[in-house]
Amino acid sequence: MASKKSDIDGDDTLFGSLDKATVVQEARAFNESPINPKKCRLILTKIVYLLHQGQTYQTQEATDTFFSISKLFQNSDVSLRQMVYLAIKELSGSAESVFFLTASLTKDMNSRSDLIYRPNAIRALCKITDASTMQSNERFIKQSIVDKKPDVSSAAIISAIHLSSLNREVVKRWANEAQEAINSKGVITQYHALGLLYLMRQHDRMAVIKMVQNYARGSLRSPHAIVMLIRYTWKIIEEDDSGSSRQLFEYLENWLRHKSDMVVYEAARAICSLKDVTPKELFPAVSALQLMIVSHKPTLRFAAIRTLNKLAMTHPNAVFPCNLDMENLITDSNRSIATFAITTLLKTGNEASVDRLMKQISSFMSEISDEFKIIVVDAVRALCLKFPSKQTLMLNFLSGALRDDGGYQFKSAIVEAIFDIIHSIPESKEFALSHLCEFIEDCEFPKLAVRILHVLGAEGPHASSPTKYIRFIYNRVILETSIVRAAAVSALAQFAVYLVDARERIKVLLDRCTDDSDDEVRDRAAMYLRILNEQDLATKYIADDSTFALAALENNLDHYLKTPASFSRPFDIKNVPVVSKEQEQADRQRAQAAARDRAATGQAAPAASAAAAAVPASVSEAAAAAASPFDAQSIYAKAMERVPQIAALGPLYKSSSPVELTDPVTEYIVTCIKHVFPQHFVFQFECKNTLNDSLLENVTVVMKMQPSDDPDAAGLKPEFVVRAEKLAFDIPASVYVVYRRLGGVTPTAEFTNTLQFIVKDCDPNTGEPDEEGFEEDYLVEDVEIVVGDYIQPTYVPDFERAWAELGDTHQVVETYALTAVTSIRSAVSTVMDLLGMQALDNSSAVKENATTHQLHLAGTYVGGIPVAVRARMAFNPSTGVAMEMAVRSRHPVVSQRVANAIQ
Amino acid sequence: MMRGMWSSLLAALGLLRRRANLLCVGLDNSGKSTAHEEVVPTVGFSVEMFERGKVSFTIFDMSGQGKYRDLWRHYFSEADGIIFVIDSADRDRIVVAREELALMLENKVLAKRPIPVLFLANKMDLENGLSPVECSEALGLDRIRDRAWNISACNALTGEGLEAGLEWIIDMLRQAPPQ
Ligand SMILES: Nc1nc2c(ncn2[C@@H]2O[C@H](COP(=O)(O)OP(=O)(O)OP(=O)(O)O)[C@@H](O)[C@H]2O)c(=O)[nH]1
Ligand SMILES: [Mg+2]
Repeated sequence: MASKKSDIDGDDTLFGSLDKATVVQEARAFNESPINPKKCRLILTKIVYLLHQGQTYQTQEATDTFFSISKLFQNSDVSLRQMVYLAIKELSGSAESVFFLTASLTKDMNSRSDLIYRPNAIRALCKITDASTMQSNERFIKQSIVDKKPDVSSAAIISAIHLSSLNREVVKRWANEAQEAINSKGVITQYHALGLLYLMRQHDRMAVIKMVQNYARGSLRSPHAIVMLIRYTWKIIEEDDSGSSRQLFEYLENWLRHKSDMVVYEAARAICSLKDVTPKELFPAVSALQLMIVSHKPTLRFAAIRTLNKLAMTHPNAVFPCNLDMENLITDSNRSIATFAITTLLKTGNEASVDRLMKQISSFMSEISDEFKIIVVDAVRALCLKFPSKQTLMLNFLSGALRDDGGYQFKSAIVEAIFDIIHSIPESKEFALSHLCEFIEDCEFPKLAVRILHVLGAEGPHASSPTKYIRFIYNRVILETSIVRAAAVSALAQFAVYLVDARERIKVLLDRCTDDSDDEVRDRAAMYLRILNEQDLATKYIADDSTFALAALENNLDHYLKTPASFSRPFDIKNVPVVSKEQEQADRQRAQAAARDRAATGQAAPAASAAAAAVPASVSEAAAAAASPFDAQSIYAKAMERVPQIAALGPLYKSSSPVELTDPVTEYIVTCIKHVFPQHFVFQFECKNTLNDSLLENVTVVMKMQPSDDPDAAGLKPEFVVRAEKLAFDIPASVYVVYRRLGGVTPTAEFTNTLQFIVKDCDPNTGEPDEEGFEEDYLVEDVEIVVGDYIQPTYVPDFERAWAELGDTHQVVETYALTAVTSIRSAVSTVMDLLGMQALDNSSAVKENATTHQLHLAGTYVGGIPVAVRARMAFNPSTGVAMEMAVRSRHPVVSQRVANAIQ
Repeated sequence: MMRGMWSSLLAALGLLRRRANLLCVGLDNSGKSTAHEEVVPTVGFSVEMFERGKVSFTIFDMSGQGKYRDLWRHYFSEADGIIFVIDSADRDRIVVAREELALMLENKVLAKRPIPVLFLANKMDLENGLSPVECSEALGLDRIRDRAWNISACNALTGEGLEAGLEWIIDMLRQAPPQ
């Protein structure tokens, strides 16, 4: 018996040698009469099996199979029918005319209530429903949602959740049914029904709050449903900055006393990951977790310790009381639990306990998976930054780990950690570099070797005995693959620039590299040899700490490659903003830290977040989350690429930051973003309709230019408008108003703006819009074009030099009395807002109460014209700020414009 | 194979319960589904089963809406007989019915299978309806030479006339056992 069973389980005995052609042949049995249910069931199983193995059916094949299967409806064998449904679900994606089964399915859905395959029928119906048949199937699904049998009801609710991506409005009408289903006696049905109800309301904060309040009072019996409710509650509290939803916190606290472990854990986890949770609020949650880590159930211990581990990153003191219990977990036979325990202790423990803990970790590093090793590495990195005096111990541990077996992710985490330590603890540098040198001697990951060589090149020349690194680097040139050799050549060049004594020797090494078999290596060597002979070139290309804003560079290159018409001219690098390497790195680090934070607190319910992802987010929101203004701009640029008329305007030069043109609580929210293109000025009005009972169609914005004393303003000619076809509730859409800048003028101007649209009322129950709508105007606030809209901030490594190079031929000096500003600090921020330029020499930082200040700014005017500004300011409490602003560029008009920017 | 022949022999002698697949077609709203208490237009098809005498019938009730008519042909190969329902009161669309019938009879699969066709001139209760003879003229039934056919008037709401039609089919099947 036992051996027979294993035969069936084994793939290669029963189904292993299946091939599609044979199965298609066998499927002819479906057309036989009478039908042999057992035989057909087996064939269906084979079909499903093949599909699951990744076999694909061509549309015709799938459709033919589909029709043969439909004939099986004449047999009422229950298990055959269930298998028929499974097969239909699988084939529904590739076959045509699948809707053809609708009548048969709905018939089964309505059949005798004790039939086991009713849920199967519902799930299959959901699969074959498309937008056009959704309305006609609505009745069947609604009716099944409130079916007395929990499995039927659950199947219908799940189907509704799937269907909502097809038509949210139709599904929203099933709220009453969903509410009724929550009272189902089926525990899982309750859970599903709550999920559906949330899906309908998730964009309406007040409705979600009401839902939480309604169900938090104990009417839910299903712990799964309560877990979902906790996640919704968490999300509301988390996303509310006003603090008004804090009252919901009480519910979370009450759930900590629930009788189900699942609920208690989820509540504790929710509290621990609230963003501004207080120690007092944390206390009961941590106590609950503390009880769990001494539980006899490994899953509970694991869950609890993992949450404490996360919490310890942000609130080590709150976790401190658990230290004693966590110590006991170090010897837990489950190594994952032990890892979390130790790494948590590393965060909460004091300096004295570190040595002992590190020893304990080392003892079982080899027993845990890479994933957990990375957790350990991250903990060690954090610890080292916290207790810099322990860096030797930590670096020894990390380099030991480098020598151990492990995959790329793990090794990369270690290298990353060492880089971080080098960056934050300068004293550690030499020791860390020597470990890295040792590692690249025997490193199986070229990618890591390249990164390490880069760091060696950047840091090595400034170490106390730099020459010792040269040997390690040159060894790479001899032994490695071409990308590593190329990186080694670049690193050598760094040493040659900074170490005058060693330069000639290094040149000899580089000279040998010009015989390399790889052309990249040869090219680099040749280039560096040439550069090294000229001090000026060397400073410009090697000792330069500026770099291009990478997102903008990528975008411009992408645009260039997509417009073959532009190939006759070389790519214009002048339009790419320049930043300091430090700034670029800081931006990346900020983005990475934010990503880590999100991962640490990321707790959005799976269903909720999946559904939320389906709703298009607004572009400006996405851009706001970007790492730097340049990343934000590339997000706008990508959105505009999709509008053909705008994509034709050429590469985007500059996007301003978004300006709100309405109150955040009005019926329509409008945000304006200004974009400068080579010959055009584009206003993007991002609009959002906050009324769930109306639909706006044919949305446009009428802009009127105000009379201006800027003569160039006449050169702004309205060219075209890209309307938003419709503005449904809560789904943002953009209107673009495009002006041509005749002759490339760059005027300042002011506009009044009116939103125009056709508004249609929507039936509050069905969401269906009325046939007839009426036109409406909606006045929003004015927009202004300022000089800064035309200027990209640019980093220059040496302001004085750039200033001198521009010379005073076209210098314009203006003096201003800024009577309205009350401090130097606000004067600086006003000027920077208006000019949109890069502050240099740290001159944007102003001491509190400073009375004099000098501000250095650099930028690139549209068309690639470098501009520099030197502003001297003096503050007098009675007269405000007096400012003398000198502007230099190679263009008199540009200098004048920038100098006049302040009004 | 042997077994199959054996059972059909027995069946021919009327000793064994027989089964028969009928395919029920016709324009939408002609009344195909009414006979078994369906009230909404059929989307696709639905399968009905019942017994009459010693025969257990499986009826594939097809949808008659324009976009689905193309799908009837998938069921020709297993049918032992076809029921073609006509709304006798729908004078405007009798030509459409004629076209669909012609298309169906031209089908390669069906052309090779001389299975009987029963025409039901439904809704005979309605005043301005066509008589079976008028129907048969309008559809050009006299040109069907390759198979047995018959037409009878009926009222699907009451079941009147259906019995006679079925009797005819059973008779036909007895003469030519299902293939
Ligand atoms: N007066 C009358 N009405 C009938 C008769 N038979 C059917 N009807 C009506 O005709 C309408 C259509 O009937 P169905 O059976 O749904 O038609 P169908 O041929 O199945 O239509 P599809 O499924 O769309 O192809 C219904 O409103 C029936 O009540 C009849 O004999 N007399
Ligand atoms: Mg019907």
